[in-house]
Amino acid sequence: MKRDTGSNFLVAATLCVSSLIIIVVSVASGPRLLNPFVMDSETCRTLLAIRLPRTAVALLMGGALGASGAILQGIFRNPLADPYILGISSGASLAASFGIMFGISLFTLSVPILAFIGALATGAAVVILGHGWKGLKPERLLLAGVGIGFFLSAVLMLVMTLSVDDGLRRAILWMSGDLSMVDWGLLPVGLSFILIGLALALTRHKGLNALTLGDDIAYSLGFNPPRERLYLFIAASLMTAASVSMGGVVGFIGLVVPHVVRRHVGSDAAVVLPLSVVAGGTLLCFADAIGRTVAAPLELPAGVIAALIGSPYFIFLLGQRKTH
Amino acid sequence: MTTLEFTGVSFSYSPKRFMDHMSFSVAEGELVGLMGPNGAGKSTILKLAAGILSPKKGKVLVGYRAIGSYSGKERAKHVAYLPQILDLQAPFRVGELVRMGKYPQEGSQTLSVEEALHLVGLQGKAKTHLAELSGGERRRAYIAMTLVQGAKVLLLDEPLASLDIKYQFDLFNLLKAIVCEKKVSVFMSLHDIGMGAMLDRLLLVKNGLTVIEGVPGKVLTDEIVRNAYDLNDSIGVYMAANRTVCQALSVASV
Repeated sequence: MKRDTGSNFLVAATLCVSSLIIIVVSVASGPRLLNPFVMDSETCRTLLAIRLPRTAVALLMGGALGASGAILQGIFRNPLADPYILGISSGASLAASFGIMFGISLFTLSVPILAFIGALATGAAVVILGHGWKGLKPERLLLAGVGIGFFLSAVLMLVMTLSVDDGLRRAILWMSGDLSMVDWGLLPVGLSFILIGLALALTRHKGLNALTLGDDIAYSLGFNPPRERLYLFIAASLMTAASVSMGGVVGFIGLVVPHVVRRHVGSDAAVVLPLSVVAGGTLLCFADAIGRTVAAPLELPAGVIAALIGSPYFIFLLGQRKTH
Repeated sequence: MTTLEFTGVSFSYSPKRFMDHMSFSVAEGELVGLMGPNGAGKSTILKLAAGILSPKKGKVLVGYRAIGSYSGKERAKHVAYLPQILDLQAPFRVGELVRMGKYPQEGSQTLSVEEALHLVGLQGKAKTHLAELSGGERRRAYIAMTLVQGAKVLLLDEPLASLDIKYQFDLFNLLKAIVCEKKVSVFMSLHDIGMGAMLDRLLLVKNGLTVIEGVPGKVLTDEIVRNAYDLNDSIGVYMAANRTVCQALSVASV
């Protein structure tokens, strides 16, 4: 396998070109096929009001999840870590479900805002509980996150069991990743938080690499491991919270995309982080385009489609490694 | 010139395991070994020297300054530490790992990644995944990272443990060379008495206390070693072979 800067550049270029093609496909596909290069007023309206915001949100969500997964797998030194491992999704789901089921709609964006607050509050609680006398250690942080996550899921299940109305179905849809309610209103805030999180993570990419080697070596290389871990955790939490608030809980991408990227370009965070953003965004965009097209007018959740396309490819890559 | 100094250092994890009033120093350009039975406190001493642990009492000085008073980057220019247990799962390639040694002083001219890989016998393996290396090769890759860091004091926790005889000698010669040429100080824990006999000086510890400190010929006598390691039988043939080496060395060092 070719593995040098040149081949990394080739991988990045291929990924970006595929991404552009998929953006065009995503904009064009849906219940009604549009030709984005031939504009009439009807096409223009559909594009601007529905297809473009949805494509943009799918790109942002997938990108944020990919980068968060790459960060969390590094700071926990655990290949099974994903953006939801610390209960952030449970906190967001609980808050959003309250909003959906009890019809809290002071203004149109109340569910995303509730989800965002729920996600960040959970992240903060995990950091506070995970903070031992030696600072933020991975084992303690992980256990605090899993514990809080289970508790919030239990409360959520309780609320859902006791609720009977139509809100329940919508809450379940939201929890499996629902991009059908997306509009432009979600984008500015979501984009801002994702950019802040990504910028924070990119400036700490050396710390992320060093933490992957363990706290003692990271310390020897001049880092303050608990502080680096806190910054990176904040970055991942901001991106995950923004992603969840825009379109609910989409699984698979945060777990598997970073692994696929590493298989191709190695593990240097300076390369893995940006490419996980592009790959995650592209995959979710593609999955969402398929999900809303194949069984139209019925919508299949993008997260489910992403897992259906992504898992076989991932397993193929695993098999390749054995023969290498 | 002293580069690493412990003055009256006390430390404890728990009331049962503690270290009391440890004092010693490592001079510039010196290769000092840290020996003692399992649980004697060797790793703790190295972690105190690296600044990872802070002493309850006393001082750990590096370049005449308390290790805790340095900023992260400054500290990394003075001290490099390599733990005994290395992550088997680290997802990096050899080159990526070794390049991380440059983090504290980006763009420094001290030692290039390629040179470091050549020194540890891993030339041409920069693109190999760490997971594909043997235990000894992986150890040497980490040592290359530590060398690239260019610190004045190298703290190595059992660096010889997973190496075969050839690479034990190669690493010993390599450390000897950088100690002589670059005036780097090396403080390393080890178990091999034969290798210990070749170092400049030894510190023998037991139960968190210094048993004896000095040239190998003074430390590695039959009686001291038997007492330190609670051996019932004479270490006989093994020590007999080594004693000649020790004597030869102690004659040479006078």
